[in-house]
Parts: sequence; C-alpha cells; structure tokens
Amino acid sequence: MGERRRHIAGLMGLDGLPPAGVVTALLAVASAVAALAWPSSVPEGRSLWTSARLHEVIYRPILAEWNERSEPKVHVTLMSLPALERRMLAGFLSETPCADLLEVERRIAARAFTGPLESVGFVDLTERVRSEGLLEQINAASFSPWSSRGRIFGLPHDVHPVMLGYRADIVEAAGIDVSGIETWEDFVRVLSPLMKERDEAGRPRRYLLNLWQTQGETIEALVLQAGGGFFDEDGRAVIASERNARTLAQIVAWTTGPERIAAEAPDFSASGNRLKLEGYVIASVMPDWMCSIWKNEIPQLAGKVKLMPLPAWERGGRRTSVWGGTMLGISKTARDSEELWRIAKHLYLSPEMARATYREGDIITPVKALWSDPVFAEEDPYFCGQRKGLMYIGLAPDVPVRPASPYNYAAMLAVQDAVGALTADAKAAGRYEVEWLVPAARRRLGEAQARIERMIARNVFLRERAVSAAGGGVDREGGGL
Amino acid sequence: MGSAGAAPWVLLAPFLVLSVVFTAWPLARSATLSLEQTFGPGASRWVGLENYRHLLSDPLFWKAAGNTCLYVCTTLVVQLPLSLGCALLLNRPGLRGRAVYRLVFFSPALVGVVFVAMMFGVIFEKRTGLLNQALHAAVGWDLEFAWLQGWVMTSLVIATLWQYMGYNMIYFLAALQNVPKDLSEAAEIDGAGAARRFAAVVWPAIRPVGGFVVLLSVIGSFQLFELPWILLNAGAGPDGRGLTIVMYLYQQGFEAGDLGYASAIGWVLALVLVGCAALQRRLAREEVTA
Amino acid sequence: MSGAESTRRTGWLAALGAHALLAPAALVTLVPFVWLACAAFKRNEDFFTSAFLPGGEGVLGVAWERLTLENFERLFGTLGLGRAIVNSVFLSSATAALATLISALGGYALAAFDFRGRRAVTGLVLAAIIIPPPLLIAPGYQWLFRLGLLDTFAGLILPAIAPAFGVYLFRQACASSVPGALLEAARIDGAGEARIFFGVALPLLRPMVGAFILLTFLGTWNNFISPQVVLQTPDRLPLAVAIAQLKSTYYQDYGLLMAGTLVSVLPLVVLFMSLQREFISGLTTGAVKG
Repeated sequence: MGERRRHIAGLMGLDGLPPAGVVTALLAVASAVAALAWPSSVPEGRSLWTSARLHEVIYRPILAEWNERSEPKVHVTLMSLPALERRMLAGFLSETPCADLLEVERRIAARAFTGPLESVGFVDLTERVRSEGLLEQINAASFSPWSSRGRIFGLPHDVHPVMLGYRADIVEAAGIDVSGIETWEDFVRVLSPLMKERDEAGRPRRYLLNLWQTQGETIEALVLQAGGGFFDEDGRAVIASERNARTLAQIVAWTTGPERIAAEAPDFSASGNRLKLEGYVIASVMPDWMCSIWKNEIPQLAGKVKLMPLPAWERGGRRTSVWGGTMLGISKTARDSEELWRIAKHLYLSPEMARATYREGDIITPVKALWSDPVFAEEDPYFCGQRKGLMYIGLAPDVPVRPASPYNYAAMLAVQDAVGALTADAKAAGRYEVEWLVPAARRRLGEAQARIERMIARNVFLRERAVSAAGGGVDREGGGL
Repeated sequence: MGSAGAAPWVLLAPFLVLSVVFTAWPLARSATLSLEQTFGPGASRWVGLENYRHLLSDPLFWKAAGNTCLYVCTTLVVQLPLSLGCALLLNRPGLRGRAVYRLVFFSPALVGVVFVAMMFGVIFEKRTGLLNQALHAAVGWDLEFAWLQGWVMTSLVIATLWQYMGYNMIYFLAALQNVPKDLSEAAEIDGAGAARRFAAVVWPAIRPVGGFVVLLSVIGSFQLFELPWILLNAGAGPDGRGLTIVMYLYQQGFEAGDLGYASAIGWVLALVLVGCAALQRRLAREEVTA
Repeated sequence: MSGAESTRRTGWLAALGAHALLAPAALVTLVPFVWLACAAFKRNEDFFTSAFLPGGEGVLGVAWERLTLENFERLFGTLGLGRAIVNSVFLSSATAALATLISALGGYALAAFDFRGRRAVTGLVLAAIIIPPPLLIAPGYQWLFRLGLLDTFAGLILPAIAPAFGVYLFRQACASSVPGALLEAARIDGAGEARIFFGVALPLLRPMVGAFILLTFLGTWNNFISPQVVLQTPDRLPLAVAIAQLKSTYYQDYGLLMAGTLVSVLPLVVLFMSLQREFISGLTTGAVKG
C-alpha cells in the first residue's frame, strides 16, 4: 500500500504529459499564431473563379489594370477542377458563398443545366447578348455549349477549331508532299510509305495517327467532324446513328488489326510526349490549345511540326472539328449583374485579352472583329513559320455545333466503351475491314445509346417537364439545348 | 472501477457533442437524402425506395461492386500475408538494421495519394513505363502490355501494395511483441521448425490483432477511390474496369448531380462494412471460445 | 555444447536468409523515392527524356549540370509555399493534439468507469468506426455552411477531432495499461478526477498518445479533398492542396509537382523517425488486445 502511494505520488508530481503530446501542443500553438495572425490579403470586390492556370496568369494583369481605373474591383481565384465544380454546385444548390463570375469548362457548365430552366445557377444573358449585337460579333457556334433550351448562359471563351499536326521533318525527309491530301483516305495512302520501317519485333517503327480506343475526346472530335454527334438540338440521344456507326467502324479499322495505322501516344503524359518526340506517331489531332501544350511539354519539337486542316471524311466535307471549351458566366447569387456583365465583356471581348490568350495559350478568340489583329498573322517558329492563327481562324466558321446536354460527358464515355467493345469484336472475329465492322458498330452504339437513355429516363424532373410540355409549355424532353 | 456518476459523462462530453454535430447529424441527413432524387441546382423530389430499387438493377453499380470486391479479396490474399511475412522477418531477435527496414517499408504511407498516382502512372505506362521496361529486359515481357487498360485492378493492387504494406506490417510488428517469448523459445529448443512454431505459438497469440488489422484493411479497401480516380485521369478507365463503389458514388453525387442516389450507394456500402465487422467479431468470438 | 552452437549457426544462416528477402524488397520500395528525388531537381524537358537522372558526359554518365534548384525557388518564391507549410503545420498539429486529447478522455471514460449507458456508448463508437466518410461529404458541406464554418480553419478542425477510431484505440490502451486498482488508490487518496486522468492515466498511456499523434498528423497532412472544398481563401490552403493544384488538367509542371511532394514528405519522415519506437509500442499496448 505504501509502495503504491509513493508510485502514484511520483506519477502525479513529476511526469505530467507525455513529451510527444507537449511538443505537438506547443507546435500547434506556435503555428496557430503564425497562421491566424499572418495578414490574409482578403481581396475586396467581386470574385472570379477559374480552374485554368493559364487563364489566371492572363487575367491578373488585365484585372489589375481594371481595378486601378474602374469599379467594382475584381479579383481572380484559381482552384482545381473538382473544387470549382463542387463549390459551384454547392453555391447554386444550397446558397453557399459563390463567386460572382465563374469561368467553367464544358463538363462543369453542363452540370448547371440539369433540372428546370429556372434553377440554372447562371444569369440568363440571352437578351443582353442579342441587344448588344454579340451574336453577330461572336462566332455563332461558340455559344452552343453554353445554351440550354434556347437561352444563353455564358460568354464563350473560345472557338477551339481542330487541325492535324504532323512531323514535317520526317515527312519531308521522306520526300512526301502532303499538300494534296483532302480526305482521310488520301492521308492514309499518301503517308503509308512512312510505315515501312520495322523494329526487331517486326512491328512498324512509326504509325500515322495518334488515336486509340481510350482517347474518348479525340474520338468525339472525329465523330463531330464526320457530321455525327451524340445529341440533337432537343437533347435526345442520337448516338446510334448510321453516320456514327461508319465513323466508329473506321476508327476501329485504323486502330486494330495487323494493318492498323494508328497508335497511342497519350496527351498530357510524360511517356506520351516521349513517343511523340521519337516520331512514334506522325500526326496528332490538335485543337488550338494543344499547340501551347506541345510548346511547353515538348519544346524539342520546335521547327519540326506543321499543321494542316483535318482530312475530310468525304470529298468536300468538313475540314475541322471542335474540342473543349470554356465559358464565363454570372452567378445568380451575385448582386448587380449589370456591373459584372461589363467586367465579363471587358475580359472576354477586349483585344488585350484576345492577344494575351493567343500569345500565352495559342487560343483564338471567338470575337470575329478581333480576327484581323496582327497577332494572329504572326509566323509561329514552333510550327515552321506557319501563320497558324490565320489557319485556325479560317476554319472557325466550319466548327461543328456542340449541344449542351448534361449527359454529354457520359455519352462520350459510353461511346469510348463502344469503341473498346467493337475492337474486341474485331479481334475475336479476326475481321478489320470497315464494311464488316459497320453492323457491329451499329449494335455497340445501340447499347451506348440505351445506356444514356436509361440515365435520362431516370430523371424525375425531366418527366415532370414533359408533362408540363404536354400542357402547352415550351419545354421539350431531354436534358439538352 | 469507479462507478462515479457524472465523471465519465463529463469526460465523454467533447467527443459526444462533436460527434453528434459533425457525424450523427450529417448521417441522418444522408439517410433522408437517399430517399430523394436531386438533380443539379436546387431541385429535389421524394422518391422513397426508388433509389435502392434502381441500385439493384444498375449494371454500373454491380460492375463497381464486382471490381471493389475483387480488389478487396486480392488485397487480403496478397498484401496482408506479405505484411505479416515482413513483420515476422523483422521480428527476429538481433536483426541488424531493423529500424532502417521499418522506416523504409513504412515510408510509402507518408506520401500523398497524388504522388502515388503520378508515380504509378509512370510505372505502368505501355512501352516507356518502368515496369514494362524492367520486365522486358528481364524476361522479354511484351512492351505493349497495357496495365492501365486491361488489368486495372491488378495495377491498383500493386500500387496499394507499395503504399500500405509497411503500414500493416507495423501493426503486425506490434502484435508480434505480444507473443510470449518463453513459449516461443521453449518450442525452438524442443526442435520445432519455424512453421510449427508459427502455427502453435505465434498465430494464436496474434490472432486477435490479426483480425483487427484485417478488418481495418477491408474497410479501407472497400473505400478505394482517390488512387484510381487520379491514376485513370478522373475516370473509371476503359469499360469501367477501374470503377469502384466510392468512385461511382462520387460520380453520381457530384458529377451527375444526384446526391440522393449517391447517398443510397453510400448506405449500401455502410451496410456491407457493418456486415464485415459483424463477421469479424463472430470469428473472433468463435476462436476465443474454441 | 553442440545444441547452442548449432542454434547460433542456423541463426546466422537464417539471418542472412532474412536479409536476402528483405533487402531487395526494401530496394524496390525505395525506387519511387529515388525517382521523386531525381524528378524534383530536373528541369521539365529532362523529365520526358530520362527516367531518373539526365544522361550526359558527367560522372557515372549523368549530366549533373542539368540538375537545378529552380523548382524549389519557384515553389517558395512565386508560389508562396512557405505559407501553405505553416497552414499545414497548424492544421495537422492542432488536429493531432486535440483529437488525441478528446479520444484519450473518451477512451479513458469507457475503460475506467462502470456506468449506465457504457455499453450503448461503446456500441456507438464501434459502429461509428465503420461509417464511410464519403457518405457524409454532401450533407457535411451544407451543414458547415449553415454553421458559418466555411472558409475557416475551425470548419476543418472541428469535424476531425472526435474520431471514433481514436476513442476505440484509447479504450483498448486504457484497459491494458491502466490498472483500475491504481485509479482506485488515487481516488482514496482524495485526488480529483481531472488530477487522476492527467497525473495517473495519461502518463501510462504515453505510447498510445505518441502513436495516435503520429497517425492523426499523417492523415491530416496528406488530406487534400476536404480542405480544398471547405477553404476558400487561397491564403489558407494547406500544403497538400497547394501541391494538388499544381497538377492542373491541361498543363503539368512535373518538376514543380515533384519538388512540392518532396517538401511535403520530408517533415513526415522526420516525424516518423523520431516517433518510430513510440508508434510501435503504442500500438502494442493498445490496439493489440483486439
């Protein structure tokens, strides 16, 4: 008993807290003081959220200049795509604090267009756009992904026409002249001599096209180029169309089988860049923004790449497509949308912005009046001195229309899976010709369409809208335009 | 053992208050959410058990469930025995450099998931990936082998093996400290081989903790999401081969906007985990009475 | 004696065998770290052309002059990572300290007292361990907003400092390391409950305290999903989020990302090295009782 008493007394008197605990507590207090007392530069005025690092870099000087001479002040905040998505939806859904201006990409914007029209979280800009003549000033097709049921909700940031970038050094060294290429058939025929070189395993050292079953966005661009698509203007799924079936069959014929001409050099990956550098693939599908990616990630290819319009699917067909897109929208939670509208226009319609966006990101503006700016006529040393700005601008009027269905991304994934399944079909049967693949493609696309239609059908709100449409409203079924 | 009146409640108060506010309330809210369908901004409708009914016939959900179960079982069979094995090796008395080995094996658990995803993205690439290159040099492996397209779950098992093997190993090491040394030595002197010693002395002593570690590992594995999400570039991989339950929950809740359906998925997951925990307790109790 | 001799000889052989298995595993485990260290000092162009160190004419065929510190300069200069580090230290240490305290209080209450409702609370704690966090994200975010806790450190810290897992661990640790008789004796001596907890129980729980502090610090340090959503002001973002943001969808600055990851990992390595022993003994006395 006495032993224990002494033991306890000792414990109570001396030991106290465990050392790790003491250290952590002290650290917590010290850093708390540092973190909380450090003056936070709380920017006043209106906020603009974006997820594109490039855009934030461009906006800062422009906004700094605006903040000096005009009211209200605006500050830009960069955040990652998922955070922007979550905060935007939370802002719209549960009125958590939201930015006044939101710059969002296609995927995220489409999410805002689900549900009833009244609950779209962006301010309806249709009247303003119309009355200020912006519909004529801005490339018409650029508005399509930001419109829902006939109303426009955002200012388009871009046009994003698509060309084909190819290894001019390899092509010219082989003495091949690409100026006569008009269709994909021409492309394969003219460039096939480049595939003669084989490696030790007997496989071609080079492939003609950077395309694979897993590159859903490239596939979508090709589908749109061919005149197909996933949704019609009413938002109904049209995935299983005859045209799409032919396009898919051709894609699989290119990417599978012993005679394939395409291989995978993934974008935004170190190894993909290495493959492009090695010349593993000769040509890649390149929207305007991809040029800047290449310049930053593969500077060693400077002076070795040239651009040409996409080969058409049939003679006289469309020579371009579209890939990606960003818009600027005004949140309904913001007060004074009039002032925000001025800021939005200043950002998106100003010549400085157009020039900076092209210089830093190779992105051409959708504002037609600015297309005559000399910056677009500059020779680009990376692309062997081509005036690529003018080349992309020349294709802008042909850019296909993209509907703003909230299910577009899911549709792209479903079509990507269809290509995968079709590839497996081809391998199983050992047949790789386009004609043989078309019926199988129809079947696979039918599955994809059923999948999307099931998703749409589950939507309770759309069912309600259909009912009210029957009662004489102007709503249509489907979740799209 | 004091049966003091208010004291335990006062001690428990911070935990209970915070739990009610930040766990119990959102949990209740998620239960009601699972009975609604929400679609994007501001709209929600009561649909009763429709979400759960739809779940049962949703092919994507079953694909996610299948992938996740496959992953859990594979991890169980591969990762845990390896962790135990390493712990046994490290537990040898007088092994030099034990602290170094411990640090090395545990350190992968110290890096964030973003790095693991980037690292293994590089390792699993076709043609230029480190793994394919190494295997090609060693045994003539096919350089074009597409780990992340055809063998997604396998790749994930390998990646999480690297990440967490050391973590589980530490738990097992702790457990092994509890093996009665005198029994173990007696068995050794008696001439029992390592395997015999393990089965008769070591295993029974660490079985309780073994069960605990397995349960923790299973619970964690069922919630696999961030790694495949970042690795597969914010997607489920080709043909949904990388789709896991929590990934599907995230896609439905935050991409498609249906928080109700996502909550239903979450509750099904919670039920599965409760089942696992109950199973583990059952097994633990059985072996105690045995 | 031949018996002891043979034991020593086989002991030596077996130790060699153990190293033969452990050493290659350890080397393989270190490969990603070597890659990380190389990548952090490489320029972006070199990132694509070489797996580890850029090849050249220097020593060992490496172009040593191509290595650079510019990634780190940019991290601490234009990107202001220093502030993010302070934020991370604050969040992690505050969460670790408070979570440990509250869990210890709760675990102690459950283990050291016999009171009505003990079984109920214990059951709730065990059930709470199983709740998958993804289930709570959506309602949790809304709830934080209603409480006015968005964009505050409190909004991140408060939900994290009442972990059911912690209460469970401390309950186990208490049950095995704090003899009731000791507490009884202290009570008889007239000590108040607070005194008993801080003076008698907590010192005996020291290993578990160290272990749990490490676990919580580690988990909070690398967490980037909740801070990203809860915190709005860029000045308040912790390190993990700042690094995750370096990985934008379109443009990858690998060198920056790897340098940031290296900066993020080093403090954890130091922490683990210093708390290694306590970590293991904490788990030994704690969780190990199953």
